[in-house]
Amino acid sequence: MFVNSLNGIIYGSFLALTSLGLSLVFGLGRVVNFAHGVLYALGGYFFIIFLPSLGWSAMLFAPLVVVPLAIAMEWLTIAPIRNRDEIYTLLVTFGLSFMITGAIEYLWGTETTLIKPPVIFQGTVDILGNQFPVYRLFASTLSLLVTGLVFVFIQFTPVGLKIRAITDDNEMAEALGINTRWLLTSIFGGAAGFAAFAGALGAPIFSVEPEMGMGIIIDSFLAVILGGLGHLPGTAVGAFIVALAKSIGGGYIAEWAIAVLFLVVAAIMVLRPRGVFGRGRIA
Amino acid sequence: MAARSTYTRNRWFSVSRLAVMFIVASFALVAAFSSPAFAAKKNPIKIGVLSFLSGKLKPIGDEITTGIQTAVKMHGPVMGRSIELILEDSLVNAQVAVTKATKLVQKNQVTAILGTSTLEALALLPVANRLRVPIITSNSGSAVITGEKCNYWVFQTNPTPQMAVVAMDSLINDTPKFKAAKWFTMGHDYPWSRRVARSVKIVKGVNYVGEAYAPLDTTDWAPFIAKVRASGATAVVIPVTLGTPLVQFIQQANEFGLTKQATLVAPIGLPDWLIAKLGELSTHIVSAGAWSAWRLEDTIPTTKKFNELYYKMHGRVAGMQAIQAGTAAQLLFNAIEKAGSTDGKAIVAALEKLDVEAPAGRMRFQKDGRMAEVALILGRIEKLKKPKYGAMYAQSVNALPASRTLEPAKKLGCNLKK
Repeated sequence: MFVNSLNGIIYGSFLALTSLGLSLVFGLGRVVNFAHGVLYALGGYFFIIFLPSLGWSAMLFAPLVVVPLAIAMEWLTIAPIRNRDEIYTLLVTFGLSFMITGAIEYLWGTETTLIKPPVIFQGTVDILGNQFPVYRLFASTLSLLVTGLVFVFIQFTPVGLKIRAITDDNEMAEALGINTRWLLTSIFGGAAGFAAFAGALGAPIFSVEPEMGMGIIIDSFLAVILGGLGHLPGTAVGAFIVALAKSIGGGYIAEWAIAVLFLVVAAIMVLRPRGVFGRGRIA
Repeated sequence: MAARSTYTRNRWFSVSRLAVMFIVASFALVAAFSSPAFAAKKNPIKIGVLSFLSGKLKPIGDEITTGIQTAVKMHGPVMGRSIELILEDSLVNAQVAVTKATKLVQKNQVTAILGTSTLEALALLPVANRLRVPIITSNSGSAVITGEKCNYWVFQTNPTPQMAVVAMDSLINDTPKFKAAKWFTMGHDYPWSRRVARSVKIVKGVNYVGEAYAPLDTTDWAPFIAKVRASGATAVVIPVTLGTPLVQFIQQANEFGLTKQATLVAPIGLPDWLIAKLGELSTHIVSAGAWSAWRLEDTIPTTKKFNELYYKMHGRVAGMQAIQAGTAAQLLFNAIEKAGSTDGKAIVAALEKLDVEAPAGRMRFQKDGRMAEVALILGRIEKLKKPKYGAMYAQSVNALPASRTLEPAKKLGCNLKK
């Protein structure tokens, strides 16, 4: 149980990082961003492109390339349909995810690339008689740290205050003079940056391949739904629930791991339709 | 006056010279256009290749098509005619595979179809009698293709799952380390994995400690690896889908130290493009029945010739799927020559009687059946003393002959209706 719980916490901290961006984008702009997964994949690809020349600092540079790409994507495809129903942005981002995956396959091929962790993070460490990879523990700690910084930013900065205002009531925030258009675009870029950072950070664990974003996007959406749509603390908790359900389910009844996960999600949705804290939107 | 006469004579010479040149050129052209080389190009034999040419499984399709292209070059013209390959992408979709095969036969008028994997071969079985061209599959993992659903038109060169069961038994019983090992099956949650698990469990006296099946979309194998480790297994058979999932599993198994605790056993071996990708990690793996191996070249000259040409043409080592696809192509070309015709029935009759040395070894189809008598290759993947064909790691070769693994066609449930 301890081993499976720790595995769940490690994956959960990673998932929290990818889910937060999704939740922010939905909370602010009501955009169901299905392309979040491919932005994660782009982070992995730019990381392996920069790695030979920049070393491990490529992990920070990869998001810097993805952010402007995401901003351009938002300007060209999402902004023109922002005032329509969520289904429109969902369809557009769904299409974009296929287009970008196709572009990745065209540019860099369909093969999987393996990355070894940095030498100081290679090997395992003994925790209560169980071997855990050092890099996983490092990546998990770093993910938690970045997630924590996002919360601090949202909670204690003037920009964070504006974000919370828009999340609560978009029209009222605009009436009070907040430039929602600029903020929405910036948050979209920022969320893409977190996804790209997660893709780069996860590369030595999950490897890099064109469809790497597909798996993570489903788990991230589940985390956002569990947490309550647009509610950030709920999303973080949702990420850990998803990860623990998968890890504990997989460890005991492997074939039923997915069934266990969806049972947990269904149960929480029935008991807490507005998310674990009861603060999210229903739709 | 004299000047005019010279002019006239010169002109006459020019005209006559032009006429001679014209006649010589005409003869040259006629000779060139009636030469065997021109005839070969003008009227090529068309062969359809149906495979995965895009998406996640493209590396497998690449191996298959490059293997066939190499065989075309290695064999040269067939009955004095060149070979024209027409490639079609099945898009990993059974319905598309049938549509593309129909197009290949009806529109392109191909003589035969090569390159199919399990999905395409299974899809083509019900329509093979309508297509009426020989289909030689070289990458199929379903027992029914040459078993109870065997078809007059469909042949298979790569080993079947039943042959792999015998190979697993041989691997365990012939290796003291594996005979004493604690066995665990860690696979994807689909039927093939369970068949592989059964092939381990039925080995007499085997110490089987458990099994786990992960969902097909698993990217984080940590919970499953924890389960394997907790079982104390020392040999883990891994029926995980070839490609990205297997790469991820092996990488993460190594990350958690599972490769120190247990030997990983790949039920159908590893393709060489995957071995190259895994590098040093591949040395933790033992193959329980690869479909072929380029190192057969130590004893088979045709394999060596194929490997050298493959490397020259494609710049990498020929993997087991390339060698298998090349073998299927080689058998087809020999059959066409033996038949002396591109008529489907004549080629099928020739295939039934064929006995040739191909890149995967001496090859013939079993009596009254459609399965090739092909060897399975067992052995550990090891680092080469000297890189060859760009490969640094490769499978060691311990060939298990078909005489030990392949049951008679009738016993496999194959009852051919001509």
